[in-house]
Amino acid sequence: MINFTFEGEPISVEPGTSVAAALLSHGERITRLTRFNSTPRSIFCGIGVCFDCLVEVDGEPNQRSCITTVKEGMVVKVQHGS
Amino acid sequence: MEVRYQVIVLGGGPAGLNAAKYAANAGYEVGLIDAGTRLGGQYWRHTGREEFDQSVHHNFDQGSLLMDAVLANPRITVHSETNIWSASIINDEVVLRTNNGAFITQRLILATGAYDRSLPFPGWDIPGVMTPGAAQSLLKGHGVLVGKRIVVAGTGPFLLPVATGLSSHGASVVGLLEASSKYSWAKNLLELLRNPAKALEGIGYLLALRGRKVEMRFRQAIVAAHASADGSLESVTIANLDSEWKIRSTYKLSCDVAAVGWGFTADTAIAYSLGLALDVDASGSISVVVDENQRARQPNAAIAIYAAGELTGIGGADLALVEGAIAGLAIAGSAQDLKTLKKRRKKLLRFAQALTKVYPVASGWKSWLSEDTTICRCEEISYSDINEAREEFDASDARTIKLLTRCGMGLCQGRICGRTIADLMNSTPQERISSASRPILSPITLGEVAQEGLL
Ligand code: FES
Repeated sequence: MINFTFEGEPISVEPGTSVAAALLSHGERITRLTRFNSTPRSIFCGIGVCFDCLVEVDGEPNQRSCITTVKEGMVVKVQHGS
Repeated sequence: MEVRYQVIVLGGGPAGLNAAKYAANAGYEVGLIDAGTRLGGQYWRHTGREEFDQSVHHNFDQGSLLMDAVLANPRITVHSETNIWSASIINDEVVLRTNNGAFITQRLILATGAYDRSLPFPGWDIPGVMTPGAAQSLLKGHGVLVGKRIVVAGTGPFLLPVATGLSSHGASVVGLLEASSKYSWAKNLLELLRNPAKALEGIGYLLALRGRKVEMRFRQAIVAAHASADGSLESVTIANLDSEWKIRSTYKLSCDVAAVGWGFTADTAIAYSLGLALDVDASGSISVVVDENQRARQPNAAIAIYAAGELTGIGGADLALVEGAIAGLAIAGSAQDLKTLKKRRKKLLRFAQALTKVYPVASGWKSWLSEDTTICRCEEISYSDINEAREEFDASDARTIKLLTRCGMGLCQGRICGRTIADLMNSTPQERISSASRPILSPITLGEVAQEGLL
């Protein structure tokens, strides 16, 4: 199993799982809050096209959770703004 | 890093896989570049767990045989998780810059596929509203169900396998809504019977769904989504539609996911950057123009660029496979007779054209929009922002609207809303083609640019 954290909470998943799949299977839906209206967003296209599923990974913003594979020790956070 | 191949294939779905296989078998060294972690594209997206993969695919054997053949072929090198951020022609060569270095060739086959077409409606930006492709990719690629109570809606044959997959893996599909008429099929029956296997596959899904008490409701659509206090989807408003898709009456349904899609849009970004001739059909769908050997039109005679699959017109996996085979053989100058393949392509093309007639998108969806409906998700531009620009500045074309509102200029570069804006502004075919421009094909960090020596 691969261990990472989302908003400080530890989550373990099978190797090869995307961040989006990991979050959804642990009941976490909201990946980011928008820049202007701060409204919550989640996955929309699921295949890297729409950029709605953005999260912050190890301090790097704008990572598409649907096409980012979870790695051991990753620190994932909700993205505020873009 | 800089790598040269005799042939480069872009995209690891049905078209790209077959193109790579046939070009390699004809004697060429092939580089197959794919953004995914595993080959297969969207159609054969899989987990690598055999039993599960079999359970979510209609015919996984065909895909897994092809993927194995490609992986085992010593003439094919697969570059997975490789995203192209620029594609250009320099000194009579195609240069593709990626997160894994530059790839260079004089023979390119584009098989970049398609993604779900989305239409805006009030609440479509609420978490829990997504495309059928998103629900499908999480299930097929990870075995993850996107929700418990799911409404699958929109139009097109794709809704059926999505609803079937979700339902048979434990979700309760509380609604399956097809906006087109129940008689649409009957009107195009003769053409549709050209591909009896596909027709049977569709009937198979309907029977499986009926067994789970999921009935398809025709001439209905989700016209609004509603969020709970935490901001997630809690219910949808469903409308009975008239033949123009105007709302006749509505009812509400509670759900945690709404998977809504309206057919597909081809991913023409790379084709556009390389200057290939593009075309627009009556539905506003953009495709790459190809000749009978799948060769695309572009001015540089030293370079051969071919295209196959959804990129040359939405037509499904069977057609993509045949087009991929033709492109692979033709680019390699193979002496093999292409007659049988071309005959099959013709038959499948007619089937694809018939399908687009069964599932037309009627213009009445525009009447579902309210003033505060988001149109551009990235830049948070609402319908009223667009209407204001239209009235105050007398803006009459999509380009001006884009410049005035920033609509379509966010991170997705108009991939999601570009076609919608063109529909709202009644764009001409030429305007639609120029709106397919995506200056940056995929996001890139300055570090990557520096590594490439471009800073
Ligand atoms: S869900 Fe669209 S990019 Fe990730």
